Amino acid sequence: MLLPALLLLAAASAAPPPDILVSRTLLRDRELRVGDVVLLSADARGASARPFRIAGTYEPTPDPSRFTARRLEARLHLPDMLALRGGGAADGADDSVSAVNVALADPADAAAFTRELLARAPTVTVAPTSAGDDEHFVVIERFHLAISIVTVIGSTAFLLALMVIRADERREVAGLLRLLGVSRRRVLAQALVEGLCIAGAGAVFGVLFAGATQGAVNAFFQWRHDTTLVFVRVTPAIAGRCLALALPLGVLAGVFASWTLLRRPVLDLLRR
Amino acid sequence: MRPLPFAWRSLSRQPARALLGLAGIAVVGALLFDMLMLSRGLLVSFREILDSTGYDVRVTATEGVPGLGPPLEEAGAATDALRALPEVAEVVPVRFGSVSARARDGRTATVALLGTETRRRGEWRVLRGGDLAQDDEPPQMVVNRTMAEDLGLAPGSPLGLASGLEPREFRVAGIVEFPFETAGESMAAVTLAGFAQALGAAAADEADLLLVASRPPHGGEAAVAAIRRLRPDLHPFSTDELLERLRQGEFSYFRQVSLVLSTITSFFAFLLVTTLLTVSVNQRLGEVAALRALGFSRRRIAADLLAESALLVGAGGALAVPLGLALARVLDAILRQMPEVPHRLHFFVFEPRALAWHGALLGAACLAAAAYPAFLAARLPISATLRQETLS
Repeated sequence: MLLPALLLLAAASAAPPPDILVSRTLLRDRELRVGDVVLLSADARGASARPFRIAGTYEPTPDPSRFTARRLEARLHLPDMLALRGGGAADGADDSVSAVNVALADPADAAAFTRELLARAPTVTVAPTSAGDDEHFVVIERFHLAISIVTVIGSTAFLLALMVIRADERREVAGLLRLLGVSRRRVLAQALVEGLCIAGAGAVFGVLFAGATQGAVNAFFQWRHDTTLVFVRVTPAIAGRCLALALPLGVLAGVFASWTLLRRPVLDLLRR
Repeated sequence: MRPLPFAWRSLSRQPARALLGLAGIAVVGALLFDMLMLSRGLLVSFREILDSTGYDVRVTATEGVPGLGPPLEEAGAATDALRALPEVAEVVPVRFGSVSARARDGRTATVALLGTETRRRGEWRVLRGGDLAQDDEPPQMVVNRTMAEDLGLAPGSPLGLASGLEPREFRVAGIVEFPFETAGESMAAVTLAGFAQALGAAAADEADLLLVASRPPHGGEAAVAAIRRLRPDLHPFSTDELLERLRQGEFSYFRQVSLVLSTITSFFAFLLVTTLLTVSVNQRLGEVAALRALGFSRRRIAADLLAESALLVGAGGALAVPLGLALARVLDAILRQMPEVPHRLHFFVFEPRALAWHGALLGAACLAAAAYPAFLAARLPISATLRQETLS
């Protein structure tokens, strides 16, 4: 919850004020300390402010849809919060909440629970909190996937150019091998293995490089946005997907480059 | 023969290699161009939307986002005070709320409701029917297309709005487009009196936001300064200040992603051209030595390689522009599926400066890529290389 005004109180009042927790960012930005007594008000100009004692600090749950926002937040006991808002029994504010968090005995029942609750209370909004369902995650994942596809297309052109150059360099050797009786299939197999090795080595290097630098990338974005969100994580599934994409592409590039060479007559390969 | 035609002939001798290099640079260049468009796209697009409203200053009670922070109290007095400033041409108070709407046929929708005065500038654009009128009975409202389609509304349709148990009847004056409406969101605007009727609990003399238009020739910055002098308790932001805040905060992730990917793609283009040229030079060592023996200077050999690099990067970079524009449409469509993104907001926006940066970065990659192979070719021992070529 965001509170509009927070002022350091010079001296604590006689009765001990209620405790609150403040976010790490708020504590740091306003140079507060645990044990300080602060004034909180629901009014922008600080009217009807009440004193609270900072009992501790907490790290707000990282929220991908708000990770660029500065989390200047405080947590109050619900009765203190309602009293601060000044709601009386007349408008029902002392018996109303904005949201209720529910922990299910079995998280797999989330969909069934949502259906049942909506059937019983159609006016409430029910949203599962599992990260995978967040629309932001889904869209960002699609965006990064699209960029990955473009990168793979560019890399494939690069790999093909390299393999064409390599095949061209060995034009005479391939011609000699063909003259000595080595079959096209054998020469092609050699190119295939070479393409596989280059693509495999490149992919493994890429995965290792990503694994080695993920800490630096996370550290930068976490520092920049003052969040504990993890931005990059090289998982075995991602490494596997990387290899699964790179290896067939390497093989195809090797075969394509060699085939353009081997379909020529032997004497042409030997420049005769 | 000049270096450029000479480079053209060198590339033409290996068409497959040249075409693949070109394709690689075009794809990588397209991604680079897109990242350059992304780096400022949100800001440019957001500014366009803000400017389209005709107001260049926003005033709130706190630094919080309008509608999420506490409202500005005694809004009427604040509005009158700001209207009296010589730097200010127009002030319009705005309230935000959420209500449940019910059409005559029983269809319902949750609606983001704006309470404001009658339209002065570009608060919304009328698409069909009339505009919002003051003091009508039943109170009027303008609705966006999504709401009209979802509830089957047309100009003149009656509609019930409720935030509590008792709905209040309104009449649709027209179908409009709001600058910041999001895809699939039902949105409507009513007068401030209508807003108080729809949201019974809403205090009458409050505003979440004051939209201020500066009076020419003073401009937004002068209006902001005047408001700060008059009412230090308020938080006025000019469009530039607001955009700078967004640049540092909400939009910074995409700026950083674009910076990282621009760097990687520029490096990739450099690596690709360097590899192609270096291998090409290594395969043509004899040819280079022969040219040197015929009297071609080191500088001329370097110029030939630079021209080859320029041809590859120039042609690839030129192809990258239309390719990048097409790719940007795809990526933009993906990102615009994000929730709560105004449907007029774009992530990728073409700007001449993006094109200039694209050219400059690829130009730098071209120069850097030619450096190593030119160094190799220029240092080549002529007689030893020719002898080696003859023996092999």
